[in-house]
Amino acid sequence: MAAAGPSVFLLMVNGQVESAQFPEYDDLYCKYCFVYGQDWAPTALPLASVSRADGGAGAEEGPRTVTRTEERRQHGDKARPWGWRQALAFPGLEEGISQITSKSQDVRRALVWNFPIDVTFKSTNPYGWPQIVLSVYGPDVFGNDVVRGYGAVHVPFSPGRHKRTVPMFVPESTSKLQKFTSWFMGRRPEYTDPKVVAQGEGREVTRVRSQGFVTLLFNVVTKDMRKLGYDTGPPDTQGASGPSPQQGLPP
Amino acid sequence: MAEVHVIGQIMGATGFSESSLFCKWGVHTGAAWKLLSGVREGQTQVDTPQVGDMAYWSHPIDLHFATKGLQGWPRLHLQVWSQDGFGRCQLAGYGFCHVPSSPGSHQLHCPTWRPLGPWREQLARAFVGGGPQLLHGDAVYSGADRYRLRTVASGLVHLELGLLLRHFDRYGVQC
Repeated sequence: MAAAGPSVFLLMVNGQVESAQFPEYDDLYCKYCFVYGQDWAPTALPLASVSRADGGAGAEEGPRTVTRTEERRQHGDKARPWGWRQALAFPGLEEGISQITSKSQDVRRALVWNFPIDVTFKSTNPYGWPQIVLSVYGPDVFGNDVVRGYGAVHVPFSPGRHKRTVPMFVPESTSKLQKFTSWFMGRRPEYTDPKVVAQGEGREVTRVRSQGFVTLLFNVVTKDMRKLGYDTGPPDTQGASGPSPQQGLPP
Repeated sequence: MAEVHVIGQIMGATGFSESSLFCKWGVHTGAAWKLLSGVREGQTQVDTPQVGDMAYWSHPIDLHFATKGLQGWPRLHLQVWSQDGFGRCQLAGYGFCHVPSSPGSHQLHCPTWRPLGPWREQLARAFVGGGPQLLHGDAVYSGADRYRLRTVASGLVHLELGLLLRHFDRYGVQC
């Protein structure tokens, strides 16, 4: 490595999409993906058979990845320095579709996915810090698959364990007639690209209705941020933040 | 030059009497600050909450500043508006808060207020809508000429802002 010091820092995020609270809807599944700026790139390339929960669509696409055994054959068995080269060999879960979950029969009425997230990013600039974008879908009265909520939150940047509760909202039709026809036909208003939820521009004309929450758990590890001069503040272990779903007020 | 990254979200608002709310926000800084990337102002979506009484915007803020001095630390100013079924907008509150100065993640609850007119205007506002608004938006975050204003308290705006500082220790600044 050059003696001048690192120019790139790493952000490793793992965790899960834990559960959801949607008082009026049941039988839900969620999709997540990451949105990040131009200076960011995921370092871990997904292995084709592992990345998608549905198993089908991801099998053909995606560049060929180097497995651990191949790397050991190329470079010998001597100990490699821990760092981003190692990350290339490990599969990442940077987008996915979860299972369909129903509410539990007990008093909690919980919707649990327990869906893993595992991704590593490298970047030269914190601008464009990655956000996770969630979309939740479920069946309506007629059996069509409709969207039940979109939401987004920034990945936390202080190392440690973080719990985030993300409010979920759906776009709303403007007139009562449109609301009725979309309910009847099963074609609700949706975003053509859910990544719109992660940006600020172009949202000032959208009317939405917030109707649920999704709870996420993150474990964050960073590398070389301090060497590049960044101060991310005190590590916040077991930090819980986000609105409390019952009262709608932060704890 | 030292750099500051403000990365976070305008989460939503509680405590307003109206329910369909949106927020116009902007960041004001002093002369020593330069915005390198990000949008300095914007407007959130209009949310009508179905669960609870908090309107959720989840509007992302991602700003990258470079600064030569500490004066004029960024201030976030907010205007909360409500939109009724006919699409008319009415002012619900003004508020401002400074961007936190210590690195890390912060939860901010910004109180808001709205200008109060004489009893005739208050009655008209209750029935027809409308009401007094500030002529110059900078009275929200500056203290000059505030003594002429008569206001009433409005709801709270909730923000989650994270701050990342760079090279501040090189200049001997402790945050």
